[in-house]
Amino acid sequence: MAVAFSPLRIENLYVAYGKADVICGVNMEICAGRITGLLGSNGAGKTTLLRAVLGLTPPRKGSVVFNGMEISGLPPHKIAARGISCIPEGRRIFSKMTVEENLLMGAYMEKDRDKIRQRLERVYRIFPRLLERREQFAGTMSGGEQAMVSIGRGLMNEPKLLVIDEPSLGLSPALVNDNFRVIRQICEDGIAVFLVEQNVRQTLAIAHYGYVLAQGRVVAEGTAEELKQSEEVKKAYFG
Amino acid sequence: MDGVLLAQFIMNGLMLGMMYALVAVGFTLFFGVLDIIVFSHGDTVMVGAFAGLGTYVWLQSVYPDIDTVWVCLWVVLASLLAVCLLGVVLARGLIMRLRSSPPLNTLLATMMLGTVLREAIRLFYPDGSNPQPFPKLLPDTSWVLGGVTVRLDSVLLFVGGLLLIGGIHLLINKTKLGMAVRAVAQDSEAAQLMGVNFSFIVLLTFALGSGVAAFAGLMNGIYYNEINFSMGVLLGAIGFSAAVIGGLGNIYGAIIGGFVFAFLQTIGAVALPFSSAYKDVFAFAVVIVLMAIRPTGFLAERSSQRV
Ligand SMILES: Nc1ncnc2c1ncn2[C@@H]1O[C@H](COP(=O)(O)OP(=O)(O)OP(=O)(O)O)[C@@H](O)[C@H]1O
Ligand SMILES: [Mg+2]
Repeated sequence: MAVAFSPLRIENLYVAYGKADVICGVNMEICAGRITGLLGSNGAGKTTLLRAVLGLTPPRKGSVVFNGMEISGLPPHKIAARGISCIPEGRRIFSKMTVEENLLMGAYMEKDRDKIRQRLERVYRIFPRLLERREQFAGTMSGGEQAMVSIGRGLMNEPKLLVIDEPSLGLSPALVNDNFRVIRQICEDGIAVFLVEQNVRQTLAIAHYGYVLAQGRVVAEGTAEELKQSEEVKKAYFG
Repeated sequence: MDGVLLAQFIMNGLMLGMMYALVAVGFTLFFGVLDIIVFSHGDTVMVGAFAGLGTYVWLQSVYPDIDTVWVCLWVVLASLLAVCLLGVVLARGLIMRLRSSPPLNTLLATMMLGTVLREAIRLFYPDGSNPQPFPKLLPDTSWVLGGVTVRLDSVLLFVGGLLLIGGIHLLINKTKLGMAVRAVAQDSEAAQLMGVNFSFIVLLTFALGSGVAAFAGLMNGIYYNEINFSMGVLLGAIGFSAAVIGGLGNIYGAIIGGFVFAFLQTIGAVALPFSSAYKDVFAFAVVIVLMAIRPTGFLAERSSQRV
């Protein structure tokens, strides 16, 4: 682990909605070519932490360094432009756009038409279903299909860091498996993956490293193997 | 009623419909992108008309011999640019700042801004409290087709309005920038995560919506040969109603709404037994009924989409 380059460093981060701190003094490192899992029960602050990294909820204090540059305080589109893509919680697809338009939005920052076409083809290879439905309005797709749109859109940008927030929520077990396979594939391309998942077992099965968040603090961290044995993980999830 | 008179009424209705549609498009664009109602939008129309008039008066005093075609082009250009700029300043200085406060505050602030614009024109435009004659910028040509008089200036104005609407349609649906506008309208946070510059899209939307309103103001001035500082109040109310009956947030709905309102006014003026002075009462009353029947407007996509 120590040798892996870590593009994202979070230091002493505090994030608040209004007055109450939801994230209190979090430190993390996300490595390239690795899947870093973020575990924690409902309301632990996982989504909030990701929102702070993405610039949607600017942190109150602390720093987020991406590829050696401070990104906290930048507007979301500038952070995205640095090479961070996101598959957000709740899919957040553009429901009145076609499937293909959604995917094209994912490549919004790319100017090179050939590259966009290649990525589109790649996403259609991963999710043949989306190719069949490319002209359909995304909002009329089934829940699982919408998840594919959201994941596909996140892959359209060839980011350096992909942030994923509960991608398999509401998916059938078969689709969840597909989903994890895709995530592993992305990571093998050298991309850093920061993954939030409710499915602890499966997350720890593919993650290299993990953090456990409880009430806005990191209560445990370690390799997946370590976390599997950890009391904190059991506590955070099962009571 | 005889056919000639009917045709005349239809043409008048089409002109009014176009004006209302242009105003309604602004309301619906702002609502679509930011979920807010910009109450000063009617007064933006008025500022557009006065910016055009001011440019005309200034041109006449500085270059009295200038060709009317050029005068017309300059007046349109100056008015559109000035009002686009007004829209950008409004978005940057007021709307964006009020982003984190309750929508009601934006409503109130823009309502007050409308009054400020109105009073500013009344007080600072020379003799601004009285109606101002609006110059004949377009040629006086007209044809008589089967007894019906068709005025060239009306045709030009209508075509100009059509071109603007067509331009906006192309921009929104066929360009990457337009895709970004639609993305922001549907989910602004997700759009930003894709790399869309939110503030820029908001400013662009305000520039567009306001520019279109300026054209409506000029159209109104040329069609009626007269403008006044409070003309935006009724136009704003009508544009807003048109946007609502069409389905707020939907551009095509706003256009349809504009023509429907003009149609209602025309019916109120000619087909009903009471005096034509009641045409607005009639049209607004029907709008209220329509709203009760279809609360989400004709093209109600916002509600069905949000599942
Ligand atoms: N916009 C908001 N305004 C105020 N409080 C919020 C807001 N969003 C989240 N919170 C609060 O912050 C805390 C952390 O929420 P967050 O969404 O980060 O949890 P999470 O770990 O992602 O949970 P889940 O697993 O359910 O998605 C919760 O107590 C929540 O109520
Ligand atoms: Mg969450």
